[in-house]
Amino acid sequence: MSPGLQTTPALGEEAPAFRMKILIADDTSTNVRLLEAVARKLGHQVVVATNGLEALAAFKAEEPDLVFMDVMMPVMNGIEAVKAIRALPTDKWTPIIFISALDEIQDIAQGLEAGGDDYLIKPISPQLLRPKINSYARQIALHRKVHGYAEELTRWREDSEEQTRLGAHVMSRLTDAAGLRDSMVRHFNIPAETFSGDLLCAARAPGEVLNVLLADASGHGLAAALSAMPLTQAFYSMTAKGFPLPSIAEELNRKLIAILPTDRFVAATLASIDVRNQTVEVWNGGNPDALFLNSQGEVATRWASRHPPLGILSEKLFSGMTETVVFNEPGDLILSSDGLTEAENQAGAWLGIEGVIDILGQAQDSGARFKHLLHGVDAHLQGKPGRDDISCLMVSVPIDRRRQFRFATPKSIAQSQFAEWRLDLSYNAQELRYIDVVPAALGLINQISALKEHQGALFLVLSELFNNALDHGLLGLDSATKSWIGGFEIYLQQRAERLAKLRDGRVELSFLLHQDESRAVFDITVNDSGPGFDYPARMEASSALSETNETAFGRGIALVKTLCEQIVYSGTGNKVWCRYVVSDLVLDKNNDIDASLGDKSSPAGGSEDQGSHPI
Amino acid sequence: MQIKLEAAPNKAVLKLNGRFDFHSHRDFRTAYEDAMQETGVHEIVIDFQDVDYLDSSALGMLLLLREKSEAVGKTVSLTGLQGMVKQVLEIANFGKLFTVTG
Repeated sequence: MSPGLQTTPALGEEAPAFRMKILIADDTSTNVRLLEAVARKLGHQVVVATNGLEALAAFKAEEPDLVFMDVMMPVMNGIEAVKAIRALPTDKWTPIIFISALDEIQDIAQGLEAGGDDYLIKPISPQLLRPKINSYARQIALHRKVHGYAEELTRWREDSEEQTRLGAHVMSRLTDAAGLRDSMVRHFNIPAETFSGDLLCAARAPGEVLNVLLADASGHGLAAALSAMPLTQAFYSMTAKGFPLPSIAEELNRKLIAILPTDRFVAATLASIDVRNQTVEVWNGGNPDALFLNSQGEVATRWASRHPPLGILSEKLFSGMTETVVFNEPGDLILSSDGLTEAENQAGAWLGIEGVIDILGQAQDSGARFKHLLHGVDAHLQGKPGRDDISCLMVSVPIDRRRQFRFATPKSIAQSQFAEWRLDLSYNAQELRYIDVVPAALGLINQISALKEHQGALFLVLSELFNNALDHGLLGLDSATKSWIGGFEIYLQQRAERLAKLRDGRVELSFLLHQDESRAVFDITVNDSGPGFDYPARMEASSALSETNETAFGRGIALVKTLCEQIVYSGTGNKVWCRYVVSDLVLDKNNDIDASLGDKSSPAGGSEDQGSHPI
Repeated sequence: MQIKLEAAPNKAVLKLNGRFDFHSHRDFRTAYEDAMQETGVHEIVIDFQDVDYLDSSALGMLLLLREKSEAVGKTVSLTGLQGMVKQVLEIANFGKLFTVTG
């Protein structure tokens, strides 16, 4: 080695890469002094022990990074000391270098087997010692760094597992909706990770129409699950208020536009199943075809994706346009995420929408279809985990023309709690084009506590009366169109076209909640600016309709008749008034208690006075 | 995924090859940012002829490209759609967001 090269380690002497604490155990002071001098010169700290026992104690107390250990020492020799040190519990790597005059192969082997990492033979040359110490300093520094990373990783993983556990708990509570337990609905959602980025929702609108949503956020895992979350609340609250599907789609899109970054989006299928009117309405943006299978297992209708996913288009460019189909036989509506159609078998082949249809068609009957699909997906995956979240929502749609609305018998209202309430609303053509009038009015009606439990029935009555005023009164649509085959779709198309062009006209709604003898009644008046219709003739025809001969257009008013006590047309037929019985008014039983508590006024008399106010 | 940038009059063509997924993020961004800096380029064409797989993060990258090019007044068009790529872009209705040629 040339003198020039020797200066290189000398440069590192002032500041070593890693400052070690070195334990030197040797009973010969000259050896200790030599080792100590070299170690200190290299910038390391030194701890000295003069026998094995002291070395063991110093090791425990000082936690050195490197140990030089003599073999032959009094009290406890080096081999014993190293065995004891290596028996100590630790997750830190501390190299031990034996230094001994014993130079037989078996001595060296014995030292290494006892737990030594290296074996130097005395006398030691400082020239060898320096690079040796430097080499260990580098190794230990690297080891400590890697060990630190590993510890950090472990901590991070534990932390992440805890977060995931908590997230999964909260997410399951947030997405668990009673609506999914609807007797018409079955579903599965198999996540690719702990979290599914697929979200399933189902809920009944006030008129008993069933709304369902299957949303698939781009990506999977927690981030995807989070992006789909804002949809739940909007879907449920708008469904509960009776908003139509296009408005729900628009609101969901608006929510996501506000929250998601540009490169994230949520594919979604929304469907509205109206058993009474025998229609299925679908909005599909970015999901595989929604399917309607008849009882023979044949595809009667498929709704392809007609829109980009939610969260991409601005409010102005977004379209909530839906496709509505009339069904004349019972069947199953099937919504799925692309995780289902893109499920891969061992060979990497996708199940595909045709594969899904095949599996569904092979089921014996509608009742077996759902299980059959679940097994079919399992069989296709062949035990391979899905790469994406796989979800499916199936709605069994019955034909139930005789469906009776079973609303709970209303509770009687205490007279003292009852107050008269009236509301008049008026919408012009421009407002009619973009406002969802029925949910808006229902929202106001629902604030009156006496009417809250009637919202289902009132939604149906109000929908019929308002839709008649708008569709026939202002838009001049002919109900007869609906009775043709494929006529309902034409009707809806004409309705959309004419509504978009509507420039004149007005619909007025009046609501009056008041007392009629011993009952609380709710009068609804709907008045449109259209030409009216020949109501005496129509009413006669409607009442002449036999139960079995009921047509689609007759059903609406027939329903209003069953829900309301009276229905009266007037004017040119452009005005309709109906009376809905809310409940009986009773004397407040609690008043007796109140009276006994000191209120000596006559509750019965007071209430009667109130009730006899002119309306 | 490999990306080859080909210059044509007024436009830059990014020819993609292989799997267009999450791992292509950096390469794809670098490629279109280079193309966008060319002042003579009015249109960025993404050629999918040799792409055999496309996932939802690739769709996200296309949406980012669309936003960035709109900001600098350039258009994005998609070409060479075939097989699975065509199917995925059709289901997502990306034809409503981008010009699709061939």
